[in-house]
Parts: sequence; C-alpha cells; structure tokens
Amino acid sequence: MTSPTATLAQEPAAPRPATPPQKRKRSGIGRVSPTFYWMVLPAVILFFVLHTVPVLNGIFFSLTNYAGYGEWDFTGLQNYVNLFKDDQVLNAYLFTFGFAIVATVAVNVISLAIALGLNAKIKFRTGLRGIFFIPNILSILVIGYVFNYLFSNSLPAIAKNLGITALSTSILADPDLAWVGIVILAVWQAAAFNIIIYLAGLQTIPGELYEAASLDGARRWRKFSSITFPLIGAFFTINMVLSLKNFLQVFDHIIALTNGGPGTSTQSVSLLIYRGGFQGGEYAYQTANAVIFLIVIVLISVIQLRVLQRREATF
Amino acid sequence: MVTSTLAPPPEGFLAARRRRRAADRDEGGKINWWLTALLIVCSITVLVPLYFTVVTALKTPDQLGGSGFGLPTSINLQNFADAWNLTNFPRALMNTALITVGSVLLTLVTNSMVAYAIARNMHRRFFKGIYIYLVSAIFVPFPIIMLPVVKQTAMLGIDNQAGLILLYTVFGLSSNTLFFVAFIRSIPIELEEAALLDGASTWMVYRKVVFPLLSPMLATVGILTCVWSWNDFILPLVVLSDPSAQTLPLANYVFQGQFNTNYTAAFASYLMAMAPLLLVYLFAQRWVISGVMRGSIK
Amino acid sequence: MVNDPLDQVRTPDRSARPHRRRRALAALCTAALGLGGLAACSPDDGDTVTLNFFQFKPEAVAQFDEIIAGFEAENPDIEVVQNHVPNADTALRTLLVKDKVPDVMTLNANGTFGELSRAGVFEDMSDVPAMDTVADAPIEIVTDLGQFEDEVSGVPFALAASSIIYNKTIFAEHGIEVPTTWDELIAAVEALEAAGVQPFYGTIKDQWTVLPAFNNLGAALQPEGFYDDLRAEGDDVGPDSAVSFTQDYREAAEKLKTLFSSMQPDFASRDYNAGNAAFADGASAMYLQGTYAIAPILANNPDLDLGTFPYPSSEDAEENLLVTGVDVVLAIGKGTPHQAEAEKFVEYMMRPENIAAYGEAQSTFSPLKDAEPSTNPYLAGLNDFVAEGRITGYIDHQIPPAIPLQPLLQQFIIDGDTDRFLTGLDSEWRKVASRSSQR
Repeated sequence: MTSPTATLAQEPAAPRPATPPQKRKRSGIGRVSPTFYWMVLPAVILFFVLHTVPVLNGIFFSLTNYAGYGEWDFTGLQNYVNLFKDDQVLNAYLFTFGFAIVATVAVNVISLAIALGLNAKIKFRTGLRGIFFIPNILSILVIGYVFNYLFSNSLPAIAKNLGITALSTSILADPDLAWVGIVILAVWQAAAFNIIIYLAGLQTIPGELYEAASLDGARRWRKFSSITFPLIGAFFTINMVLSLKNFLQVFDHIIALTNGGPGTSTQSVSLLIYRGGFQGGEYAYQTANAVIFLIVIVLISVIQLRVLQRREATF
Repeated sequence: MVTSTLAPPPEGFLAARRRRRAADRDEGGKINWWLTALLIVCSITVLVPLYFTVVTALKTPDQLGGSGFGLPTSINLQNFADAWNLTNFPRALMNTALITVGSVLLTLVTNSMVAYAIARNMHRRFFKGIYIYLVSAIFVPFPIIMLPVVKQTAMLGIDNQAGLILLYTVFGLSSNTLFFVAFIRSIPIELEEAALLDGASTWMVYRKVVFPLLSPMLATVGILTCVWSWNDFILPLVVLSDPSAQTLPLANYVFQGQFNTNYTAAFASYLMAMAPLLLVYLFAQRWVISGVMRGSIK
Repeated sequence: MVNDPLDQVRTPDRSARPHRRRRALAALCTAALGLGGLAACSPDDGDTVTLNFFQFKPEAVAQFDEIIAGFEAENPDIEVVQNHVPNADTALRTLLVKDKVPDVMTLNANGTFGELSRAGVFEDMSDVPAMDTVADAPIEIVTDLGQFEDEVSGVPFALAASSIIYNKTIFAEHGIEVPTTWDELIAAVEALEAAGVQPFYGTIKDQWTVLPAFNNLGAALQPEGFYDDLRAEGDDVGPDSAVSFTQDYREAAEKLKTLFSSMQPDFASRDYNAGNAAFADGASAMYLQGTYAIAPILANNPDLDLGTFPYPSSEDAEENLLVTGVDVVLAIGKGTPHQAEAEKFVEYMMRPENIAAYGEAQSTFSPLKDAEPSTNPYLAGLNDFVAEGRITGYIDHQIPPAIPLQPLLQQFIIDGDTDRFLTGLDSEWRKVASRSSQR
C-alpha cells in the first residue's frame, strides 16, 4: 500500500510559486499552534472509528466462523483456504475483472473522444457540455431500472420489428450477453464525469502549441498522439485508475439490471459479498473474501499507477 | 520523478484560465459543423433514457407495449399520484434532502478544516502521517467495511439519517483531503501571516481568511458530495434500519420489488426521484461544470 | 518563521479557543443527530406500545393491514407497524447482524427460518395458547426445519401447496382432461402446442420462479431419505459417493427441462408479476406456480376460471404427491421488550376467523386442527390429496441457503446443460458442507 499513497502524498508537494520549499522547511522549526491539532483530531478520530475500526473488524472476523449473530470460534485461515477452493468466488472475480476492464477502456476512449470534440471549434459548446454531464447526477439504481425496461421490452420490440431475431429477446436474459447491458449502463453513466475531467485537462494545453504544430503541417492524428495525449497524461492516469477502481466495486448497476443473473453470470464480487454475507449467512467467510478483494484492489492500483506513469514519462 | 507526472501542471488554473481566454479570442476560425452535428447525435444517446422515462411516466398502462418510444396519446397524471403514495414520496424526499444537506454542510466545514491544518503543517511528521493515513484509505474498497459497518452503526445507535450524514462526511474525508490540501497549498500564505500579525487566532484566520478563499474548491467538493449522498444506494440499503428513514433510491428499490407490474407508476416514481437534482442542475449547470473542472485541474 | 510569530500573537487567549471550536462542533453534531432523530422516532409517544411487525409477503400487505386494524381497535394502547421489504430473507439477516430483531414476524418456513431457529433467534412459542389449536403436521414441518433445544420457534399461520395452475376455459376449449401421469401431461402439452396454444408461461427473470417445479419433480423422483443420506456424506458428495445429485436427480432435472422447453419465447426476460398478469389474460394454458400465486392472478382478472392439480411427476397416478409447506409462520423476536403485546397480537392473528379470511383471500389452507376442508373452489383439485395425507415437504428447505440454488436453476433452464447443473449442485453441497463442518 505504500507506493500509491507515497506518490499521492507527494503530489501536493509539487513546488508552488507562492511558497518555495526552503521557506516551508525553515518554518518547521517553530511550534505548532494547538488549534491545528483541534482541527484535525475530532475528524480523524471519527474516521478511525467509522472507517479503520470496521476494516480491522473485518480482518478479525475473517479469521472466525461468525454468522453475523450468535456464537463464533476462531478458525484461523480456514476461510481463506476455502475461498481458493470456491469456484463461485473465482467466477465472481473473473466477471468483475472482465467487466471492469472493458468498462474502463470503453469509458475512457469514449470520454476522451467526446471531450476532444467539445474542445474543438463547435457550436452550442456549453449546451452540449451541460447535456453530457447529466448522467452523472442521476442515481445509478433508478436510471438502471429505466435501462432494465429498455433492454427487456423496448429493444426486443424494436428488433422484432426490424426482423433482427438475434436481439428479439432481452440481452439481460442471455448469460453470454447480460454483461454487455451492464457495460452500456456503466459507460453511459460514468462517461459524464470523465468527459468533464478530460475537458479540464484539454483546456490546460496552450493553444500556441497547436499553432506551431499546424505550421509544421502535422496531421490530426499526429497532433493528438504527440501533443494532446502526452499533455493530458496525468488526467488519463487518474481517470484510468479511478474508473477501474470504481468499476471493480460494481453493485448498483447489477441490482438494477440482472441481480447477478442469469444464473450467476453477472455476479460481481461486491454482490457476492453482500449476498453471501447476509442472505447465505456466511458473514465471516465473505468478510475473508472482502479482505482478499482489498489486497487485490491495492495491488492493481499500484501496478496501474506504475505502468501508466512509466508510459507517461516516455512521451 | 514518478510523482511529478501525476501532479497536474503546477501553474494552476489561473494560468489555464489565461490560456483559455487566449483560445477564446482566436475562436474566429471556422466552426466545425460536422463535428457539431456528430456531438449532437451523441448527446441524443444521453437524452433517450430521460425522454423514455418522461413519456412512460405519462402513459396509461394500456398504452405501453411495442418499443414504448411513442408519445402518450393522452396525458395521465394518475401515475404520479400513485407513485407519490406508494413510495411515500414526501417522506423519502425529506430524508434524502436532509441527508444530502447535512452531509454537504458537515463535509465542507470539517473536511476543509482538516485539510487546512494538514496543508499548513505538512512538514511535521504528525500531520504528514495523518495525511498519508487518510489519503491511503482511497484504496480501501467498500465491501470490506460493508458488513462490519452495518454492525457498528447499529451498535452506536446511528443506523439512521444522522449516521448516514456522519458516514458520508467521514468516508469522503479521504479524497476531499486530497483535493483541499492541493488547493490550500496554492494559496499564498502571506495573507494568513498578515492576519496573524494583526492578532487574529489560527481559528479566526481559518474562518475569516482561508475559508472564503476556498470557495472554488468548496463548490467542487460540495457538488461531488451532494451527487453522491443524494444518489447513493448501498449505504442506505445496509445502514438504515427503520423503514421510515428510507431515501429516494431505497424507496424505488422497495417499490420495484413490490408493484413492478405497475410500470407507468414505477416510471413516474423514477422521474420524481431524479427530478429534484435535475432541476437544480438545470439552473446551476454552468456553475456545476466549472466547479467540477476546477476541482480536477487542482 | 511562518508559525513562530503567530504562536506568540495568539497565546493570550489560547484557552478560550478550543472551547469555542468544540462548542461549534457539538452544536453541529446535535443538529445533525436531532434532525435524524426527529424523522426516525416520531410514532412512539405516551404509553402506546409500538410493535415492529416484519411482514415478508408483499402480496398480502392488504390482508395484514385489515388484521392490524381489527387488532388495534381492540387494543387501543398497541400500535402495529407493518414493514415489508423486497428480499425478506436478506433484510431479516441484516437486522440480525444489527441485533435488531423485529418484535413480530411473518416468515416463510424455509431453510433460512430453520437456520435462524437453530441459532435461537426466536422466542419459544410452545406455551402460546394458540399453539394448541394447530394440527400436529404443520408444527412438525416447522420443527423439522431446525430447533433451538426443544423450542418451537413459530406458529404455523397458513399452508400453501405447490401445484400446476391451469386455465379451465382453455382446457375445455381444446378438450383436454386434467393429466394424472407424466405421459398425459406431455400429451396435453403437445396437443396445446399443435393447437397453437402456449402451454406454459415462464417468468425466470425472477430466479426463484423455477423452484416450484423443481421442488415438485425432485420430491417425487428422488430416492427415499435422499437429503439425510446427502447430509451424512457431507463433503464427500460427488459422482462416486453413495448418493449425489448427479446420480439421483437426473430424471427430475430432465423433466424440469422438458417442462421449461414449452415456455413462451421471452420466458427469460419476464418476471413473476408479469407472469401473473399474463396468465390472468389467458396467455398460457398452465402456470407452474404455487397456490400463493392464485390471489395475485385473480387480482389481475377476477373472472378467470382457474383450477389446480398436483404435479403428475411419475407414470403411476397413485404415486403422485402434493408438495405442501407452511407458507406463513408467525414468530416473535427473542428478547423483545414487548413480549406480552407481541403474544397478544399473535393470538389475535391466530383466531379462526382471521385465518379463514386470510385463506380465502390468499388461497391457502388452514393449519388448525379442526379446520373444515377448504371451500375455496380454486383449491378443489388439491383437497383430496390433503385429506388423504398424500403430501410431502419442500425440498429446497433441505438445501442450505449458502448454496446458490436459484441461480443454478435459472442457469440450467437457460442453457439446458443437465450435467453442469447436477455437478454444480454436488460441488456447492460439498463446499458448503466442508465450510460448515468447521463451525
């Protein structure tokens, strides 16, 4: 866990013109006003109680056979051993990763493309920008129900009229296609936010750079790959990391669309933990699953930051 | 070396704004109509589900069927009355509004304060440690705390609206600290020093000098917290015990489970759940988007 | 340099400030808590006792509202708040994790109920006077699911049967008799299909709607004592063990597949409510649902002439059994502060007139000792089986809730892969057995 945090921690330490680092160093010799401690402590204690304690609690109970109520015993690492023997868990991970990767790539490609369009010389820029942001302010669950109806009723009806038999039944009822419906909802909803982030990134690029490039007669793709993309690399990294992390925890989308079905074909890790932990009565077992999930997400984030930043650096 | 690339360009948004103005000025070039048309087509994708929600909510059940994209032949407002009663809409709206307003206010006040103390003392081990502690929690996935948090909130007697306000404030602390600290460190410290020399206390400096200067970032964090706490489903689902505390997404979930052949009333209920935030957005659209953009450049 | 001077400046009133800050924070917290509390605890005032009544059956909300109204009229000092949620089992478990067991509950007497009974979550009901009025068989069904010591965790309130519901008008139109053997059933299906009539209406978007058919076929075709043997095998269950799904459930699985192959084309994207509405509109001749579906079907079309018949699962009409269970059991949360009031409410619900009214509205059988045979015309086809005692229980109650039975069934109906389904069941049984043996 050290790596990503260390890098993030240093982020704001990037030199600011107003407070050169030397000055800060010197000021460090003085004593801290106690007010600063008062500002931090209550919130940090609350954070510890409501966030860290549950994490530790989860790790603790993952070593027991607790059902969430009643009595329990220590079982050591048995839950973890069983996890690795459980193909249901494996399938949930496979689905979650497949979904998250597809959704992350799709969302970033689409958002970047739309952001580029919105950043070009077009009419109605503000209005369009406003429309593209709308999905971000909608509840995934509620708009998910609308999508559910569209997928289950409207699309099959349209497909039937057009004579496309392949799509004349709901894609959500097809174990091989249900994930596509979830990706569509996820991308539709998440693109809104990413577009704005990319747009913000694009606006940090000085126009003069392009003018110089135009003089060179650089083609559009070259312009994108050698000027635009490297300059918004930081935004790309952030969006990729955050999208993947969010999609790995997918839950609302699935509740609204498939409830994990057909069969268990769209059962995500979060859904499995929720269902197995409460409905199946295997609280401790699923908590162990969550601990593994934590480790996996941290590892992925670290690797992703490393790889993407190396790429950025090579531009 | 790795870090410098992750950090956005240090010049900050003033420089960006200067450039944007420069870009606006040479807008004189030709407007790309093809691109405009393409983007309009894309934006229709965004609007289709909303259009669908509105027309379905206005139909009578026997007008359903087919693709469902047709306009209603007669306006049926009964759906809204049904949904209003079935979801206990006023209660759910009150709960959601209360939780959202409470979370936004508490988040803005407490999180900015924490970040201020950290930003101005980053060179001290204690504050740096707190910073790393809080920010590293960004990587903790929700499922691991889901089961224990259910137990703990119930034990502490905060498995209610107040508990949710606390949870949103506390769980948002990680990323908000990141945002605020970056922003505060771009504010020249001289102003604060001057105020301190005039005899103001640290607390007064924060309240009278720093807090007003934070307004762009307060807007960003406020918007993000508002959207999150208004629309969130999983925390209310697992934390709230009393059905009378139901939020809008939760009320729609319950509604779905029970009366889901009543599609038209269901869609009226969806529309009513989405409408309040949509209306606010309609009027504050420019402000919201610039708020989010500013936040991301920081 | 930055901090030093400010420290000196602010020393004089250092003591005052933390207080002010603390006060501000305290005010904010009380404001937040106060607001929350306001909305959360409005009903409890004065000396009225509020009973939290967890009610798992969405389609019976109105019936229980009526019962509650009658009870509250008799007991003005007790208020009953009916709570109903989607996914009742999950919701109840969440409440248990919170240590907030409702005062009074209606629950389905299923595997989860058995597990919770064993964990001692419910109050012992064996001494409740109403218990003496209940017949032995339903009580046995409840205790067989699981017991905490020798307690009885719930009072049976309504019995349901799992049968095939059919549209009498369609059957008459095509001259089809009620089938009593598997071959007759298949012949009826073929005749209907030949006449262009949809034999069954499927609603497997809701995963649980495969269960009724599975329960019937499984119960009729499995070897005697199958689940006892399976439990004895524990984590050895597999193709080589003495009993297993792979060996003993093949016929049931194949027959299940056959039934579901005669569904309408969009059977995978319709849900239970849509199915009730469609069957009420005459969309199919038969409907594979329990008797609890009769009430919602009739709500869609009160004039529908429907009947019920037990699954003709085997070749010998004499071997057919009716699958019955306790559809609704009344339970009281252990440690409720309102035990006396809760028992009073249970007693009230168990009054014969209330049970009869509920049975009429929801098409259920009475659990009472001296109950008249049901006069409900929709249940006429099942009465003989009940009277002759040709009944058996729900097999899904024997399967631990940690096994994803419903998803497996839904998957099987969609892909039709019998081997995958049966080995899946075996492997889930094995895994769950090995996990729970460590308890």
